[in-house]
Amino acid sequence: MAKVTDMVLWDKPGEKVLLLGNQAIARGALEANIAVYAAYPGTPSSELTDTMAIVAKKAGVYMEYSTNEKVAFETALAAAWSGLRAMTAMKHVGLNVAADTFLSSVGMGVEGGFVIMVADDPSMWSSQNEQDTRVYAKFANVPVLEPSSPHEAKEMTKYAFELSEKFKHFVILRTTTRTSHARGDVVLGELPEEIKAGKRKFGKFKKDPNRFVDVPANARKFHPIILEKIEKIREEFNDMPFNWIEGDESAKVGIIAPGLAYAYVKEALHWLGVENVKVLKLGTPFPVPYGLLEKFMDGLEKVLIVEELEPVVEEQVKTWAYDRGLRIPIHGKDLVPRVYEMTTRRAVTAIAKFLGIDVPLDYRELDAKYNKALEIVPPRPPSLCPACPHRNSFYAIKKATRARGIYPSDIGCYTLGLLPPLNAVDTTVAMGGSIGIAHGLEIAQHGSLSEEQRKKEKKVIVATIGDSTFYHTGLPALANAIYNRSNVLIVVLDNLVTAMTGDQPNPSTGQTPHGMGKRIPIEDVAKAMGADFVEVVDPYDIKKTYEVMKKALEVEGVSVVVSRQVCALYKIGQMRRRGEKWPIYYVDEEACTGCKVCINAYGCPAIYWDEEKRQARIEPSMCWGCGGCAQICPFGAFKPVEEGEE
Amino acid sequence: MKVKEYNIVIAGVGGQGVLTAANILGWAALRAGYKVRMGEVHGMSQRFGSVVSYVRFGEEVYGSMVPEGKGDVILGFEPVEALRYINHLRQGGMVVVNTKPIVPVQVSMGKARYPEIDEIKKIVEEDFRGKWIGFNAEELAIKAGHVVTTNTVLIGALTQIPEFPLDAEHVREVIRLSVPPKAVDMNMKAFDLGIEAAKEILGL
Repeated sequence: MAKVTDMVLWDKPGEKVLLLGNQAIARGALEANIAVYAAYPGTPSSELTDTMAIVAKKAGVYMEYSTNEKVAFETALAAAWSGLRAMTAMKHVGLNVAADTFLSSVGMGVEGGFVIMVADDPSMWSSQNEQDTRVYAKFANVPVLEPSSPHEAKEMTKYAFELSEKFKHFVILRTTTRTSHARGDVVLGELPEEIKAGKRKFGKFKKDPNRFVDVPANARKFHPIILEKIEKIREEFNDMPFNWIEGDESAKVGIIAPGLAYAYVKEALHWLGVENVKVLKLGTPFPVPYGLLEKFMDGLEKVLIVEELEPVVEEQVKTWAYDRGLRIPIHGKDLVPRVYEMTTRRAVTAIAKFLGIDVPLDYRELDAKYNKALEIVPPRPPSLCPACPHRNSFYAIKKATRARGIYPSDIGCYTLGLLPPLNAVDTTVAMGGSIGIAHGLEIAQHGSLSEEQRKKEKKVIVATIGDSTFYHTGLPALANAIYNRSNVLIVVLDNLVTAMTGDQPNPSTGQTPHGMGKRIPIEDVAKAMGADFVEVVDPYDIKKTYEVMKKALEVEGVSVVVSRQVCALYKIGQMRRRGEKWPIYYVDEEACTGCKVCINAYGCPAIYWDEEKRQARIEPSMCWGCGGCAQICPFGAFKPVEEGEE
Repeated sequence: MKVKEYNIVIAGVGGQGVLTAANILGWAALRAGYKVRMGEVHGMSQRFGSVVSYVRFGEEVYGSMVPEGKGDVILGFEPVEALRYINHLRQGGMVVVNTKPIVPVQVSMGKARYPEIDEIKKIVEEDFRGKWIGFNAEELAIKAGHVVTTNTVLIGALTQIPEFPLDAEHVREVIRLSVPPKAVDMNMKAFDLGIEAAKEILGL
């Protein structure tokens, strides 16, 4: 099939294609004639940025992978101030990083359309918490558009730019995992001439210190303006194309379904065979349009709000109803769980209870059978890849600290160092948090010791942080640790890409999607900041890595070890594309004593245990040829397969 | 023959090509004129963890996830992974599964047990009233030229199950268009081997 990235730029209006929600949003931005796009990757938003990265140059869009969400936000915002259509995207927790700028600048508004795409992750498939961006939006008084399908995601993106421009206000396009990572049929629209010509668009910033300087005197004027805007937008939403009433007009019961919940509600009603229900399909969970709500509520005797996560719509509807003296039952979170993602089962169960009818499937029986089946299903959590250089980094850290250290870590695939047998991650909080936590732990554990005692004590706190995370929010924490004379070892697990979200480049990579860019070596930064010990190691050399770790632990002050080796997944992907082969290892049955060090301390997923022979084995289809096993085996049992050998 | 709704659950281990297989089926359904919705997992879960992808198509489809008890087929790339999502299978649904296990690290460490294939089959057939089409797809993939064609073998087998609503030749065409040019022959062979395996098991 055609490559998705090609389809996103196809000049074929009316053509139906299969796109991921995130790709559909990229197409929507192009159809809206976007000029500037800046973002930091975060699942489930990443593919939007990755798609923009590939099409940007051809479409004449300025696109960048920024170092974090706050600077991405600022880059796009400034472009929107300059009259250009601009967009930034992030995952829900990314908005926390950008929140300072977001909440302070909202009153200034924009000139060109400014769309903030935020992807929430209910059920936390790939996240550290389950926050609802709609709550943030309400807090900031920024309208939210929430699509119910990939096609609608594209259409809404286009509309979001228009809405933003019309009110000179920010607009949030909120998705969840199941919209961003859903594929569906999307009908392509028209692309603007400028996008087709690939012509870069430039804006002009008009100075206006009363607007763009957030001193208290100016800021005081902003809050009432924001409130005024949001009420006008509420009016506008009464008849915007993504809100409508459907179903039986004479029905006495109603269901309100915002965003993706609409798809589940439709499916549930279909499955239940219920027809005498009125449905309010809501593309705008905030602000809820009162006019449309009034029309919908007319004649209803009870209402159910089916929404994912927080009762954002429910609270607005209840407040509205109370103010009008409307005394009908309004159900929501009493029937729909507030935690984890929406499912058809949840919608079916809530609606059946609401209507007092039977669910179409005996879920209790299903659950009982399923739980019984699960008893024999072994767990399979994700793991560090075979040949992941940082399995070695963790292995060396554990060895150097004789497993007695405390190991604060960070957000990235290396968080998987948490799992047995490595058990090398003790804390993970938020991007860049490892260094700050390490410093705090050091103060708490060792702050009471005298200088002399401290010198005798070996460092026991070893923070691990990835290269992209280091540049994201690790920098200020490193400065803080050095400035305050902390006594920690910081190991930067540098694999030269942002691996977890799909191999995006970062300052340690140096390359940008467009070629140019300047590499910033992490060791140079650490030295410039004044770290007391800085060294670079290749974790594929386990012995050397271990020795450097040991040396670093002896040094008083902040030690930084940059453990650098390209991401194995990235490397193997490239080799595969080029048709190259890599060495594969095998277990020499004569040499293997069955000591299990490779399994119980190293834990490469390609190594498994042969129960019959009581020996380790390598699954050849999973071996990526790093040879780490050969280095850690005390008996030299792992050997590379020679050419021509089986 | 147009179906109202058809639900496929593809389960496997990250790196096995679950997403690729889902995409091929999704495109084949789109080209057959159906509405399509697919749901998949990205990010951390892909790293050798359990992975599931949903392909739904029909005259009218809504959510991107196959609801529990509504799956027509579970296409298992790995035996315990097929069982992990068995709650999605409808009564009388099909489990088309590669019987070659990928042993999780926890099992190697002796902290969990890997079940016998027959235990899995028994649960599918007896508790879930499902039909079991199990064979070593990896072996056939290697026969076709490379282990990476395991997913193509499985898709080939899938097209042979009774009342499968997509035409095998249309699916084959999408595979031809999807894989790199030099891998086409190998994948065509893998697809045929999958068809043969399923036919033999189904007694066609």
